[in-house]
Formats: sequence, structure tokens, C-alpha cells
Amino acid sequence: MIGTIGKPIDEVMSCLKDRDDLFVVGCGGCAKAIHSGGEVEVAGMVEELTRRGKRVIASGVPERTCYIQHTRAFLEPLKDKVARCGALVVMGCGGAVQIVRQATEEWGLVKPVVSALNSVGHFDTVVPGHEFVEQCLECGDCLLNRTGAICPVTRCAKGLLNGPCGGSQQGRCEVNPERECAWILIYNRLEALGELDKMAAYQPPKDFSKMTRPRRAVYDENAGVTLG
Amino acid sequence: MKLSALFEQGRFVVTSEVGPPKGSDVSGMLREAAPLSGVVDAVNVTDNQSAVMRLGSLAAAHLLKENGFEPVYQLTCRDRNRLALQSDLLSAAALGLENVLCLTGDHVTSGDHREAKPVYDLDSVQLLQIARTMGEGRDAAGNRLAGKADFCLGAVAHPGAEPQGPQMVKLEKKVRAGARFIQTQAVFEPEMFARFASRASSLGVPILAGVLLVKSKAMARYLNEKVPGVHVPEGFVAQLADGPADRRKETAVRLAVRLIRELRPLCAGVHIMPLGWTDLVPEIVAGIG
Repeated sequence: MIGTIGKPIDEVMSCLKDRDDLFVVGCGGCAKAIHSGGEVEVAGMVEELTRRGKRVIASGVPERTCYIQHTRAFLEPLKDKVARCGALVVMGCGGAVQIVRQATEEWGLVKPVVSALNSVGHFDTVVPGHEFVEQCLECGDCLLNRTGAICPVTRCAKGLLNGPCGGSQQGRCEVNPERECAWILIYNRLEALGELDKMAAYQPPKDFSKMTRPRRAVYDENAGVTLG
Repeated sequence: MKLSALFEQGRFVVTSEVGPPKGSDVSGMLREAAPLSGVVDAVNVTDNQSAVMRLGSLAAAHLLKENGFEPVYQLTCRDRNRLALQSDLLSAAALGLENVLCLTGDHVTSGDHREAKPVYDLDSVQLLQIARTMGEGRDAAGNRLAGKADFCLGAVAHPGAEPQGPQMVKLEKKVRAGARFIQTQAVFEPEMFARFASRASSLGVPILAGVLLVKSKAMARYLNEKVPGVHVPEGFVAQLADGPADRRKETAVRLAVRLIRELRPLCAGVHIMPLGWTDLVPEIVAGIG
């Protein structure tokens, strides 16, 4: 999932200056799972905007806002309100905000689309409904087969590929002692698997061309998925 | 002169270090280095130490060389990608620098520009590997260089880090990648260093034991809380003096001389980190004989 957290309300309000008749759009996927953009949070935003003197003319939660088909399906019955609104306030990830913009542009509308959340990473749910952690950076060249299924690119604060730095102490990270040192976890796991030779092997510099943004994938029945 | 030549002579090598200034006025740095002249074999120049932005270590190393010192140019992976690192190595070679210490670098969160983007395009093992390749006349992409960048490459180790197993795996990789000598983080306990030296002896490269001049009990506490990779044990803190600088300096010299005498049979040399108290280094070097 994409982790998101609410922006300070003053920042959102500063983007809505001189805008009224708002349309609040949440997301029933990731943002709902992390309690930042589901039905509950959208209702809270509507209440807050109203309390601050704004009129909200529509609100709701598409199944998954970052899928254009779900956002289209959600907005279609509310098209007149989309056309009439002064701005759409999106409580989803940065992708959801841009998909909502795309949907409005497909109808030939030029509407301000305001992001109410900050996206904070590719998160995994480790305690349902409660704890979410970043374990994958989507580097495009997965190393997990060499590191005991623990990602140093993401979980080491420095993204080191050949072992721990000198700041690792008692299995803790120099950047934040509350965090575990990824390389101690990797060492312990490879040792348990009898695969320490993988850590001893030189890991060459990462091919960051595979992270050249923006990445794009296209599926075709004949060719399958291709990246470009 | 390359440090490797000194090690080959079987000399007990003594190095020290200066930190480049926060600003473009290098007079203070040169004054700080002055007492080291003719006393130590080489002077390390730190690279944005503790992630605090300063004058560049390349320029500072060059200025020291011009002033008659043998610099060890420290280069970290924190602030530069592989283009910049290699470019700086070529610059260093063109300026006649001969010794480079390759480090990962403290994270930006420990410094004075905490919002900076940490780079770490390479890690220290990869930097060593690429620097060695450049010494053979090729860059990281395999392109031929018009003029090699041939250095005596050094790596750092942290004998006090626990657990040591993963650190030792990485240290072995640093030596395989091209490190010709190892410089350690600050050592305070000879017994702990002896255990490390015994494990590292199979690597077959000379080790410079790090000796840090701790100026006061307060500084020891600061180091323990704020500086990654440095831990001053309680037993050592208890021996430090408080009060006037003269008394604290006298104690720092006495403790350093005693420590180096104990470390001497276990290592090929020492790297004295004076943290500004370079004026004490001549007395320490004289004291160890």
C-alpha cells in the first residue's frame, strides 16, 4: 500500500482560499487502510471544512482512487457536482490526486485539485489497522534473493549494499536507535540459512537507471508487460 | 609519499588529523596543523566531518601538501554520486595527493544540514573497488583514463562495534576491494583492540589504531551521545580530568601515551585524533619513543 498522512489543515486551507462549493474525494484502498482517507476521515474533513466556513457540495470514497476506472465510476453519477464545484479536495496518495485531475480533464473541466495528504512511502501492514512499515523502495532491481529477504536499499538508512556502517551498534541504526540495523538482521538471517557467503560476495554499485523516473508499464496480450 | 611505503619499511606509523574550517579562511587550519610538522607521518583531512558542512577536504588536503605535509585525503560517500567521487579522485591525483581514506560517512541527520538529501550512490566497499580500478587506468564504466589515479587506499574499521561478525565480513570486502591499510575508530581499551587485531590479522594489511584525545568528562558524554561509532567507556571517563585546560591537557597526554604504548605491539601504527589539540601531539609522539 501507499502510506499517507494528513497535511496540516492550515496548508489545505491555504490552497482553498477564494474557493468554495468543495468536493471531497477519499480513497477506499490504501488511504482507508491507514486511516487517512476512508469514509471516516472524509466525513471528518467535511465537518472541518464546514466548521471553517466552507460549503461542501459532495463527498465520497471511490473503491480505489488511483485506478482511473474506479474514479470515473465514482464521479460519473456526480458529474454535475464536479462541474459546479470550486475545487476537489483529494484524501488519497499523490497518485490518487493526479488520477482525479485526469478524470476531470477527460471531461474537459479545468478544476483545482487539492491534495489533503502527504504520501510517505510504499508501506506494508505488519499489524492490521495499526502498524505500517516501509520495506520496499521499488528500486527496479530486487536484491532480496541475496539478502535473506530483508531489503538493505530500504531498511538501511544509507542504502548500503555491502554490509553495516560503523554507526551500527548493538544491532541499532546510527540514524535512529529505535530502528534495527538492516545489515545485522541480514547477517543473522543469512547465518541461520547457512548463506553467509552471499554477504561475503561483493555487491557492485546499484543500477539506478532502473529508477529513472517516471517509470511506465504497458501490458499487451502478445508482448506481456513491458517497461518504458 | 604513500603510507604503504612507510608500512613496508616496518616503521611504526603515526598519523594525525585536522578538520577543514567552516568558512574559506584556512589560516586557522594551517595553524592547527603546524605542530604536526615533522612529528607525524601524515595528516588526515576530514570530509564534512559529522555531516557538518565545511571547506572541502580536497582543497584542504592540497593546501596541506603545499605546506609540506603528507595528507590523507578522506572521501565519504554521503555527499557525492559516482561521477563526483571519481571526478574528485582524478582531481586529487592531478594535485599529487597519494593517500585516500574511503568512508561511508555519517548520515546527514547527525550534521548541520539535516534536510539535505543523503547520496550514498556508492558504499565504502564500492568506492574502494572503483578507486582501485582508477589506479589501473579505468573508470567505473570501463572507460580508459588519460592518466591513472593511483593512490594508497585506506579503509576504516570499528573494533568496538557489536556484533563484530557483520563488521568483519565488510572489512574483509574492503580489503579485497583495494584497501592497503585500515584505520580504526577510537580505541580506549587495549584488550578489545587485541581481540579485533587478532581477527583482522588474517587480512594481511597494516592497522592504524585510532587514538582520540578526549578533552573532558563532558566531551566524553557528548561523544557517547552524539557521535556515531564512538564510545568512551566509563572506566576511561573516570580517568579524565576536569577544570583548567592545562590540567586536562596533561591528563590527555598521559592517557594517550599509556594507551599507545599498550597498543603498540598490536598494530602497525596509530592515528591520533586531537580534535583541535594538535599542540599535544609532539609530546605524545615523544612520549611513545
